[in-house]
Amino acid sequence: MTAAATTLPAADASPSRARFVAFVRRHPTVAAGTVLLLLIVIASIAAPWLGTVDPISINPSHRLRDPSAEHWFGTDRFGRDLYSRVMYGGRVSLLVGLSVAALATLIGLAIGLVSGYLRAVDAVVMRVMDGMMAIPAIMLAIALIALSKASIAIVIVAVALPEVPRVVRLVRSIVLTLREQPYIEAATAIGTSVPRILLRHLLPNALPPLVVQATYICASAVLIEAALSFLGAGTPPEIPSWGNIMAEARAYFQLKPWMVLIPGVFLAVTVLSINLVGDGLRDMLDPRLARRM
Amino acid sequence: MAALPMAAERRAPVLTVTDLRTHFHTRDGVVRAVDGVSLSLERGETLGVVGESGCGKSVTALSIMRLVPPAAGRIVAGSIRFDDTELLTLSAAAMRAIRGNRISMIFQEPMSSLNPVMSVGRQIAETVALHQNLSRRAALDRAIEMLSLVKIPEARRRATEYPHQLSGGMRQRVMIAIAMACTPTILIADEPTTALDVTIQAQILDLMLEMKERTGAAVMLITHDLGVIAETAQRVIVMYAGRKVEEAPVEALFAHPRHPYTRGLMTSIPRLNRAAAESGESQRLTEIPGVVPSLIGVDVGCTFAPRCPYASEQCRAAFPPEVEAAPGHFVACWNAGSLPEMIRA
Repeated sequence: MTAAATTLPAADASPSRARFVAFVRRHPTVAAGTVLLLLIVIASIAAPWLGTVDPISINPSHRLRDPSAEHWFGTDRFGRDLYSRVMYGGRVSLLVGLSVAALATLIGLAIGLVSGYLRAVDAVVMRVMDGMMAIPAIMLAIALIALSKASIAIVIVAVALPEVPRVVRLVRSIVLTLREQPYIEAATAIGTSVPRILLRHLLPNALPPLVVQATYICASAVLIEAALSFLGAGTPPEIPSWGNIMAEARAYFQLKPWMVLIPGVFLAVTVLSINLVGDGLRDMLDPRLARRM
Repeated sequence: MAALPMAAERRAPVLTVTDLRTHFHTRDGVVRAVDGVSLSLERGETLGVVGESGCGKSVTALSIMRLVPPAAGRIVAGSIRFDDTELLTLSAAAMRAIRGNRISMIFQEPMSSLNPVMSVGRQIAETVALHQNLSRRAALDRAIEMLSLVKIPEARRRATEYPHQLSGGMRQRVMIAIAMACTPTILIADEPTTALDVTIQAQILDLMLEMKERTGAAVMLITHDLGVIAETAQRVIVMYAGRKVEEAPVEALFAHPRHPYTRGLMTSIPRLNRAAAESGESQRLTEIPGVVPSLIGVDVGCTFAPRCPYASEQCRAAFPPEVEAAPGHFVACWNAGSLPEMIRA
């Protein structure tokens, strides 16, 4: 005891710090992704306090300015401050990305669990899912948005729905392999009911790949939202989003390429960092991998 | 070896299986995995069930638990009475209340019978919480108590560990802890030691018997290892091709095996025999020629006849009825009375 106490004082003093250092050293990409994503999230939330001005206030006398001390990223064709718009635009992208990931995952998870475990449900549900998958995601989203008036909530639903079949397929395939595992039979043998088997035994086992899938959905939702906004079918034009900033700026691409590139870089970095975080979460949520960290 | 219970002393059986028939409907036809098996299990006794792979031992156990895979398998006839309850007509919810609580089961594969993402303490607590109205805290305490009962050192710490951190023997101990957590009336152990090292096998068997003594549970021990049967069971059932071919108290079975199949099983085990070794004559191990039939389709006659050295025309014509050759010793063989005395060193 005393020997251990004297040889390991540093580790005893801050075990969490030591673990953190070890984690960063082992997964540098995950750590970088987490830091980047956190920065983007904080910047979006704290946008009003980061030297921004009203992102929708029009100032015709300051149209299409180059980057300067006053307008860090310059201004757009209505004289709106591009830096402010990009900062506020992150809110839309992240809100859409996270909401879509949550919504699509939850719906897909519920359908997938039941469909994978109960054969009767499976036959019907999977044909519906196949049908949904046959329609390209953006087309389905545009159609859904065209049926209602543009708002962020509609965009979220429209982007989430096409993702559902992908989640269902993933969850179902996991459940199909897991249900044959002896421990599921053993759980049945101790009198566990079907809902309990789904939630307590199948769900935790399905979670690691699902979380990874959720981050990919989040990343792809950020892109689809940008694409929809770019096409003018997404976020209402008065609300800045990276997609519609790029859409409005594309006419000036040859003169002022940064107007497109800056939101584009933000978009790319965000998507990249979400994907990096996803890989990290997968490692941490799997107890078999976690113990080795 | 435990003393034989006299026929008069026999108590009312806790489990009575009558003419159980479990069939599997496959693309190739109907597989009659269990075809008219009757057995009874008395309170507190250990009943051994032996036979080669594919004899219907496990399916019999799964039928009792009503866990036959529903896609293909079906219990087509028979009755399974547990105490005064007919299990085959019980609702799914009522059956769940019995499973793990009053009848529990230990599986062959301790490696994969535990959920890899749940700590073992929680998995034991799960069973307790399912069947007894206990708080999370109390269920977990019970789990830790069970872990120390199955002789896992540092139970409190082990309870927080995951299955992959335990050895095969440890996992089987955890399985026993789960099975015994609610002090069941019947414990069905389906080849509980087959997947374990020989040195661990004896420990696990001892532990099972100790837990049985502690709780007074009746044990149905399924195995293909006659050595295990000899050491643990009071009565033995020998199954072949979905049917019971012999049933006897364990001493009687080993002293006077009456069915040719039982004899075949016994002569295929190596025996240590010092007298024979010293005199220079070594006994050859014999095998039973052929394999267990596929159980598909309708067969006529004794299912063992194609492999039986004593098979006659009668054997190929009809399946023999079960007769009581000696008190408590049942055998289904036309020639049981006329078989030559088995020479055992």
